[in-house]
Amino acid sequence: MSVREFVRSKVPAAIDRPGRRLASASPLGPPGGLMLPLLALLAFMFVGPIVAIVLFSVQTENVISLSVADWTLEAYREIVQGTLSGEGVYGEVTLNTIVISALTTVVAFVVSYPAAYALATKVRRFKLPILIALIIPLFTSVNIRVYGWVLFLINDGVFDLLAGSVGLNAPSIIYTRSAVVLGTVYVYLPYMLFPIYLSISTIDESLLEAASDLGAGRTKQFVDVILPLSKPGVIIGSLFVFVLSLGAEVEAELLGGGTIYTAASNISYSFGYSQNWPLGSAQAVGLLLITTVCGVVILRTIDLTEIASRGGSR
Amino acid sequence: MSARSNRSRLPRISTGLWYGYLALIIAFLMTPLLSLIIASFDSGQTFSLPFEFTLEWYRNALTSTSVQSAVDSTIRISVPVTILSTVIGTAGAIAYTRYSFPGREYFKIVALLPIFFPLILLGLGMSMWASVTGLGYGIVPAIVGETVWISPIVMFVVSISALGVDPNLEEAARDLGADTLTIYKDVLLPLIANGIVSGGIFAFVLSWNNYYIVSYLKGSEITITTWIHGRMTQGFTPVVPALASMIFYVSLLLLLVAVVMELRSET
Repeated sequence: MSVREFVRSKVPAAIDRPGRRLASASPLGPPGGLMLPLLALLAFMFVGPIVAIVLFSVQTENVISLSVADWTLEAYREIVQGTLSGEGVYGEVTLNTIVISALTTVVAFVVSYPAAYALATKVRRFKLPILIALIIPLFTSVNIRVYGWVLFLINDGVFDLLAGSVGLNAPSIIYTRSAVVLGTVYVYLPYMLFPIYLSISTIDESLLEAASDLGAGRTKQFVDVILPLSKPGVIIGSLFVFVLSLGAEVEAELLGGGTIYTAASNISYSFGYSQNWPLGSAQAVGLLLITTVCGVVILRTIDLTEIASRGGSR
Repeated sequence: MSARSNRSRLPRISTGLWYGYLALIIAFLMTPLLSLIIASFDSGQTFSLPFEFTLEWYRNALTSTSVQSAVDSTIRISVPVTILSTVIGTAGAIAYTRYSFPGREYFKIVALLPIFFPLILLGLGMSMWASVTGLGYGIVPAIVGETVWISPIVMFVVSISALGVDPNLEEAARDLGADTLTIYKDVLLPLIANGIVSGGIFAFVLSWNNYYIVSYLKGSEITITTWIHGRMTQGFTPVVPALASMIFYVSLLLLLVAVVMELRSET
């Protein structure tokens, strides 16, 4: 334990509080000028596109009419009816999307939690190389990573090469829903792992010592202290993975081999081949609502000060 | 307490198991990247057994004119994106971390929200918006679009290092007679320089690897990721893994530099 950490553990209130006394009249000048470029950029190219999606969803053709009289809910009706009756592609798309996102979230949680726990509490040596290895995939194009899985899974691919060398002959899962889930779990796993890791790292070690002094065994410490206190990380990670995997298109396209349709692939189909922007937009609005709610919940829960003080150095 | 001696031994074995589990996760994360690298060195026109080593596909990728022009447009997008999003994101991070003002938390939520959006949603919305507003498609719209997603990420990274700087430093510098420019130049920016550099590297690597946003806004331009995507959906060509591997090598190198910078800013 470094001196800094020791002091922090003794007087957390003095150092760690998020509302550290920041001067309102800072010598740096007013903050408005610093925020302006980012806010202007977001107003133009983030809020604008969201408005465009919402507006297009009520149009009759691929042109925006601003008069409310021309608006129609036809696209929404088609989607809702299609989903409810199970006819056409919507029933399948909705089911696929929910199954894939839910499965991805559950699997990513089950796989990540032990890893996050180990990283936060057990790993002392080689911590940096391990962390780097875990973030490398995040900085590689999703295209490239998913394509790597295709090369791994295809007939006579890398898997067959490895399996063949030890005399195994297993059928490939490529072009099935499982392959798509494998792809989404792969792509979004770090978004589950890191929030959980950070929330476990922020648990005060003296709490565990106290629990141990009071006679709690390792299992009891885990169940009564670590598990409940890591809940924010689990919630953030789950929302993150669920939302992002709703947008999985490349995974479905390459690993599903054009047989598995998800909301994202259906949306992009509406824009690409069928050129039906209102229909694509109406589907996107559903995704947009879920995403915005989850994003705001995540951001309200995240405490950057906490991450800054504990995240990297422990 | 006979359990004591048992306990001291047990943790060592269990620690080994935890490391083993992490190694499995890392192996899982590396599987597609290693597959790509293996495929890039295989001599077959179609990827299949037996494996024969060759560097031919790397040579083909480097000499192909369509690859060169894709690299060219990617650079013309990612360099401006890096500069813009580093400046904009750093300014946002300074506003968020060095001030207290009403609505500060709302500013954080609004500014960081794009990070949580599936990129396909951002890309589609931007594409329609570009058509409605007459912004159009091509290099400039792609730059604006990527900057929207990457600036918040830079803000996040720089905020983490800026929060580690003593909040009273600016006051102290002013008490000692420094004006605003001097405080920025000699106090604040040097202290968060490592955070800014690693934020900038993240920005470059993310822009370089971006697919969704650029594919909706690029117009007739072809970037590396859209070139790769076009080729990979048309069946196997060994040039694709070779090019993808080269991009991965470069990203990996830059990422290592960024991580080292970020760590230096923390200690």
